[in-house]
Amino acid sequence: MGDLINRILQNYPYIFALALFGIGTFTVLTHSNLLKKVIGINIMEGSTYLFFIAAGNIRGGVAPIKDMASQGEVIHVNPLPQALMLTGIVVSVSVTALSLALIMRLYKLYGTVDAREIHQIRNEVRASGNSN
Amino acid sequence: MSRNIAAFLLVCIGVVMFLAIAELPLYGSPDTPVQNYVAERYIDGALSDTGALNMVASIVIDYRAYDTLIETTVLFTSIIAVFLVLKKGIN
Repeated sequence: MGDLINRILQNYPYIFALALFGIGTFTVLTHSNLLKKVIGINIMEGSTYLFFIAAGNIRGGVAPIKDMASQGEVIHVNPLPQALMLTGIVVSVSVTALSLALIMRLYKLYGTVDAREIHQIRNEVRASGNSN
Repeated sequence: MSRNIAAFLLVCIGVVMFLAIAELPLYGSPDTPVQNYVAERYIDGALSDTGALNMVASIVIDYRAYDTLIETTVLFTSIIAVFLVLKKGIN
């Protein structure tokens, strides 16, 4: 038990990533405001970046840039997760831009960004269409 | 009510992930499976292979250039989709 807690405490950056992931997922699941859902998705993406960068870190390592002036052995942190996360940032920006554009269309159509209200309006329109 | 259900399910998943954190290799140690021969090759060979001092730049622009090239397609597709969604006169 003590060993387990010790291991978890030594992996503390992953705990922050887990907490951010939980906060983001909770935001996406519980808020009916579509803009807040987009914010939640972005928080989840941020937790993924944190997890990857932390996994590539070496204690006492320096940034992966060759320094010609430095003498002796220098430990560089892993550059590969950082490069992969650059790709991830591009994808996340694309997803955010597209979802925000869709929310703008929804707002023009229904006058609200609340998913529940949009559902209500759709149901009312359907009901009035059936009665006629 | 649904907020409580969501919180409960998230706590269940969180506990499993929390226990998984204990099984992960130790944070910051130089012999984790992440620090394998691929990273070694990038760190040692970046300067002689690509001439870039910044290893991240050499990976993004040179070693994985096709990845970056197709990535611009992702960006392009999303821009086109945004313009189509926000086009005036549809509705």
